Amino acid sequence: MSTATTALRGKEKAPAAALVEMCTVRLGSSIFGVPITHILEIVGAARPQPVPLAPIFVGGLVHYRGDVLTTVSLRQLLGLPPGEGRQDLLVLESADGIFGLLVDAVGEVLTASPADHEPNPSILDERRRALFAGAYKLKDSLLVMLDPEQLDPMRLSAARAA
Amino acid sequence: MDELTREFLIESQEGLDRMERCLTDLEERPQDAGLIGEIFRSVHTIKGTTGFLGFKRLETLAHAGENLLGQLREGKLTANRPIITGLLHLLDGLRSILKTIEADSNEGEGEDTGLIGRLEELQVPAQARAKHPAHARAGATSAPVLPAEPERAQPAALESVPEEPAQAATPAPMAPVEAEGDQVRPRAQGTAAESTLRVDVTLLNRMMNLVGELVLTRNQVLQATSADPRMTLLSRRLDMVTADLRESVMKARMQPVSNIFSKMPRIVRDLSQSLGRRVRLQVEGQDTELDKSLLEAIKDPLTHAVRNSLDHGIEPPDVRESAGKDPEGTLKLRAAQEGSHVIIEVYDDGAGICVEKIRKKAVERGLITAQRAARQSERELLQLIFVPGFSTAAAVTNVSGRGVGMDVVRTNVEKIGGKVEIDSRAGKGTTLRMRIPLTLAIIPALIVRSLNQSFALPQGALSELVHIPPEQAAAAIEWIENAPLYRLRGKLLPLVFLDRLLMPGVEHKMAAERDNFIAVLDADGRRFGLVVDGLADPEEIVVKPLSAVLKTIGLFSGATVLGNAELALILDPGSIALKAGVSMREEDAVRANEGETDAGAVAALEYLLVEAAGRQAAVPLADVLRIEQLPLSRIEYIGYRPVLNFEGQLLPVEDSGGVLAAVEGNPQAQIIVVVCREANRHVGIAVSHVLDVAAGGDLFEAGTAQRTGGVTLLKNRVTNVVDLGVVAPLPAGEAQPAWSEIGETVA
Repeated sequence: MSTATTALRGKEKAPAAALVEMCTVRLGSSIFGVPITHILEIVGAARPQPVPLAPIFVGGLVHYRGDVLTTVSLRQLLGLPPGEGRQDLLVLESADGIFGLLVDAVGEVLTASPADHEPNPSILDERRRALFAGAYKLKDSLLVMLDPEQLDPMRLSAARAA
Repeated sequence: MDELTREFLIESQEGLDRMERCLTDLEERPQDAGLIGEIFRSVHTIKGTTGFLGFKRLETLAHAGENLLGQLREGKLTANRPIITGLLHLLDGLRSILKTIEADSNEGEGEDTGLIGRLEELQVPAQARAKHPAHARAGATSAPVLPAEPERAQPAALESVPEEPAQAATPAPMAPVEAEGDQVRPRAQGTAAESTLRVDVTLLNRMMNLVGELVLTRNQVLQATSADPRMTLLSRRLDMVTADLRESVMKARMQPVSNIFSKMPRIVRDLSQSLGRRVRLQVEGQDTELDKSLLEAIKDPLTHAVRNSLDHGIEPPDVRESAGKDPEGTLKLRAAQEGSHVIIEVYDDGAGICVEKIRKKAVERGLITAQRAARQSERELLQLIFVPGFSTAAAVTNVSGRGVGMDVVRTNVEKIGGKVEIDSRAGKGTTLRMRIPLTLAIIPALIVRSLNQSFALPQGALSELVHIPPEQAAAAIEWIENAPLYRLRGKLLPLVFLDRLLMPGVEHKMAAERDNFIAVLDADGRRFGLVVDGLADPEEIVVKPLSAVLKTIGLFSGATVLGNAELALILDPGSIALKAGVSMREEDAVRANEGETDAGAVAALEYLLVEAAGRQAAVPLADVLRIEQLPLSRIEYIGYRPVLNFEGQLLPVEDSGGVLAAVEGNPQAQIIVVVCREANRHVGIAVSHVLDVAAGGDLFEAGTAQRTGGVTLLKNRVTNVVDLGVVAPLPAGEAQPAWSEIGETVA
């Protein structure tokens, strides 16, 4: 709530410095942010169909509005053990098309000022650095941003091949 | 203006638009080979098409441009500013001629020698020109690039190239157009641009997807409302509208291949005249229908393939005669649907391709290493001709030989998810085979289960199904080292276990611990059995493309949504065979031989050859639903009549051969029952062996020349055909209606 109020006030003062809206997602005990501009839809409790022989980060296929969508499992991508129960699905749009992102749960929508953004710290390991787009310094915690462009399965498979 | 010219105009204009975009990009990235390739193809296509439409002026100009672009493509020149300017002038020149053609159906009397001269000049590297400014043309003819361009001297226009500045020359071709263009242009644009509507392929795909989605939603609505009588009428209506809509969308996109085949006779005639060939064109399978967008996409590759066949394939009449061939060559175009693909073949009985030449050239050009070339099979080497810039033609001619044609063929076919293959025997001829997927179509498929998942298997590749219950698995599946095999009517059939293929390195249930179904598949001449653990109903599926990441797995040709809303991957039998290493050579040879001997008897009926107590008999294959092997104890009797309790339904078993009687009293005996469809019921025939499947020949009674019934000529033996009609029905009443409900429509 407090974030939203600050956000509003910020907007009144300096409309030029546009606020960034992001959706938080939970993975185990960590929280990540996804820029809302890239989210087409949030689908609760998806049941992806596994694809044998697919790269490890592929979470399976889901049926989305007449298309068959390839999903990326954030858990498998970050090398975490497979989750239990159903996962939530974010339908994301990247430069190359749309794909799904499987997370444990979708949280809330937050706003933050670009002024609070910091790039990835250099001590982060290289694989994660490629997936993250810096972090926002929230009042009581850091919110690590995911980079939807880098999460695109096409991009991921190219990165793995390299 | 005829259809051909109109289409050529629309296409050329599109090509030039593309070229313009690429040229501006090229200015920023002069080393980008992809851009140069795209520009080259645009010009090449225009040149190729003008050749047979008879637009000499356009052809000469495009040819000059192509020469320059060829140098760029081979890296002998770099795209600097003057070259790009020159190419832009070429673009303008081509455009203005096209406009003249659109306006008054001829090329006009324009003069292009200035522009052509400038394009020629640009082919000489800058240093050479700087040294001999006055002898630019002479320098060009003695430049080291010459051997690659032996036909340089061909266009007559070159001889008269004036040494005038290019700036003065370029406006020349524009002049005649501009004089009359202003009055004519509005009307001309109306004819070509407004009468046809080009719809983006992605939009068509989207429409098809949405219709597929609607079909699925309808299925679910039908299931959900079946209990509610008030909704039944509404959902029935929804069902009908959906079916109609689906059909209309499909139909709107389907066109017979004759649309593109019909353009070939003229191309063949004109080309064979200009090349001095005598060619007979045969066309087969004109009615085969293909989705509009796919048809469009294969038009160029097909034209290129035909040109190649005429130029490199079919030899001049005197050469053919001295080789003991008919001086008139044959060019055959064939289209046929094979399962989920449409096969388009371009066959010529020409010189074929010398594999040694390809091997040599490939090593020479550094495409493969000498060691690899020595290891590769002929078939693999042949596929090298699809590599950009590869050509074995001794001389580059006006028709083909730059190696760009085959490259275009492959690029275009692969763009729509198809495959190109070439097969050639030196001295005998060449077959180019394009496999075009029906990606956008709805195909019948059998749903199989493995790894607790459903997979869709296209019915087209499926020839039969064999069920091996767990207790028989150990005996029925034989092994040579670690290769599983099954004896199908006496012939060994290589088996591929789907679960092991999809999840290697994991312990799987042994065949003896579960049900096994062998789907006997025939994929591109590779015959093998795919072992799955369960079968579900056949379904009409809507093929949805997979993302690029999953396409690279190679075993799946798409995905689909089943009636129960479950997603299923569509198996690609050809790739499975490849991945599992099922060879095709032997099968190929067999097929080729059969093709020769059976050429005249295509329409012959196929029979299942069975043996019952020592005598051979034939059952029409079309009537056979499945073949069951079971213990004698399963046969029960109603009175004296043997019946089989088959999946909860009664099947009368015909035993005129006395098979049952022969093994009576032996509780271990296994018998085989051929389950057949007869009118609207199913009947079983007891046999001791199933021998083979063969095509039957008609027999005629001596003297009357009347066709005999009840017998057929099978493998040169007169064989009785089992008359299913004489199998007496079971006592009427509760049993009778059940026959039609046995829904075994497998294979």
